Amino acid sequence: MDLIIVAAAVAVGLVLGWALCRGGDQRTADVAAPARPSTVDHRQVLDMAQAAVVVVDARGDETYRNDRARALRRTHSGVLIDEAVERHVGRALNGADTAEVIDLYGPPRQTMSVSCHRLPDGGVVAFIDDVTERRRIDAMRTDFVANISHELKTPVGAIAVLADALVDEDDPEVMARMVSRMVAEAERAARTIDDLLELSEIELSSPTDRLPLEPVDVLRAAADRLGQAAEQRSITIDIDAAVPDLVVVGDPRQLSSALGNLVDNAVKYSDDGARVRLRARTNDDWVELVVADDGVGIPERDLERIFERFYRVDKARSRGTGGTGLGLAIVRHVANNHGGDVLVHSTEGEGSSFVLRLPGTPRNPDDVPQEPMGDVADPTPNPQQVNTR
Amino acid sequence: MPDLRASFHSDLDDIRSSIARMGATVVELIPRVTDILLEQDLEGANYVLRADDEIDARCLDIEERSLSLLALQAPVAGDLREVASAFKIASEMERSADLCGNICKAARRIYGHDLGPKLRGTITKLSAQAAREYKEAVEAYVERDSARAAALPDIDDFLDELHRQFVQQILESHAAGTIDLQVAVQLALVARFYERLGDHAVGLGHKVCYIATGWMPESEARERYRKSQEAGADNA
Repeated sequence: MDLIIVAAAVAVGLVLGWALCRGGDQRTADVAAPARPSTVDHRQVLDMAQAAVVVVDARGDETYRNDRARALRRTHSGVLIDEAVERHVGRALNGADTAEVIDLYGPPRQTMSVSCHRLPDGGVVAFIDDVTERRRIDAMRTDFVANISHELKTPVGAIAVLADALVDEDDPEVMARMVSRMVAEAERAARTIDDLLELSEIELSSPTDRLPLEPVDVLRAAADRLGQAAEQRSITIDIDAAVPDLVVVGDPRQLSSALGNLVDNAVKYSDDGARVRLRARTNDDWVELVVADDGVGIPERDLERIFERFYRVDKARSRGTGGTGLGLAIVRHVANNHGGDVLVHSTEGEGSSFVLRLPGTPRNPDDVPQEPMGDVADPTPNPQQVNTR
Repeated sequence: MPDLRASFHSDLDDIRSSIARMGATVVELIPRVTDILLEQDLEGANYVLRADDEIDARCLDIEERSLSLLALQAPVAGDLREVASAFKIASEMERSADLCGNICKAARRIYGHDLGPKLRGTITKLSAQAAREYKEAVEAYVERDSARAAALPDIDDFLDELHRQFVQQILESHAAGTIDLQVAVQLALVARFYERLGDHAVGLGHKVCYIATGWMPESEARERYRKSQEAGADNA
């Protein structure tokens, strides 16, 4: 019996020992063994890459092209990029890594970066990257610094020069002219600073001052603000008084400022005697406030940059009209602050149409604007057009 | 023998690729020379005019390689159509690049004159339309897409209409005294250059149809002419 018990104990011991050893081995294996080979095909991974990738062997024959690089082949831009890749692969096969940035007029206009690197087996890998957006942001940053310096330094410099000249001047007529120029330059600097402060305030504002607003009232307030400037040049501001189904919940001051800037631009860049058209409409859950003119329009190449701070389409003309270069930046920030956006359609020589898109909300009969939008007259009972003149 | 055929197909691919690259270069040139014209970029104008030699050299190179292929490989059927069309396509593209050069020359001649937003806007539209047509033609060639190529004459109608509008605007601007006679003449030529670029794009489309199907729209004109000749003979 003792023998049986001893034998059983030995057997259990052996089994336990084996099991423990096996567990220990497993743990060791978990720590020390190399990672199992991935089952993912690296080509599939490269097909998901943002960059186009082309691989050639040491003889220059193409051995691989990812999905994005294959798609390039079908376009005229791709044909030109392929030409650049071929040129750079030739150089890289001779030993040097190379890179080039190519500007393509398109359409669409693009900036592409092509870089080629030698592989250990003597082949070459080429990466083709679309850097259009990166270049645009770089240009925006560089231009902003240059423009803000220019906008603030020019009036200050002019005032300094005029003051210097005034010291030695004794002709009252000339002195009066110089002083009036100094006042104009000082006002220009003050306008720029005011707009910068307004922009900063909009950027930092919280959504606490929001009220339900009638879209047509917002348009009327803007039209009233600019009524006098328009009248001086016999420009008619027409408001389509059709009341949309939705109202806007927004900051009255900010919206008035944004619409004011849009109407101001429309008046400034229209010919004398022209018409500026304002309209509110709904589009799904959005309220769209439209400001359209038949003025000089905006060249296509400038359209994507006009909302940048201090960006000017026609530098000479814009400064002549007294703008600070911040108006459209303010409009964009107001739109973003309200969860909306601003769209522009423009053709040079034919006019522009700006659409301020804001989230709409159903009209509640109990909701009335708690803050008047400027000196707004009672809405005329549904006329097709209201002439503010 | 298989080696010879492989070499033939590789040479034919090279010719195709050279034509596609030349066409893509012209597509890029159209908006570029428009910028030069509108921005009065004299340096850019000189650069484009100097670069025209490269286009001429490419055209000659394509023609020589096509000739060599015809002489040495005696291609047949689709390959023959491809090689035969290469001559015409290359010279059509070379002529298109010349038109872009002519726009640069006009830019130099009207340097210092303000064109005004209306004329500038229409020039931008003419350029965009010509570039769109040329892009379609080149991409139809790259893809051997005869359906896409066959749509080009319809697209070109819009360019013809823009051309007509632009000439009208030039006359009005001249009558209003906003542009002088020299500028008016140069702009009328510019309008014609864009319109011709569209015509070349349509011509390229015809060649693409011919390569892909063996049929060219000009065949209809030939048929009409043949019938009119036959009718004339019968009447006589």
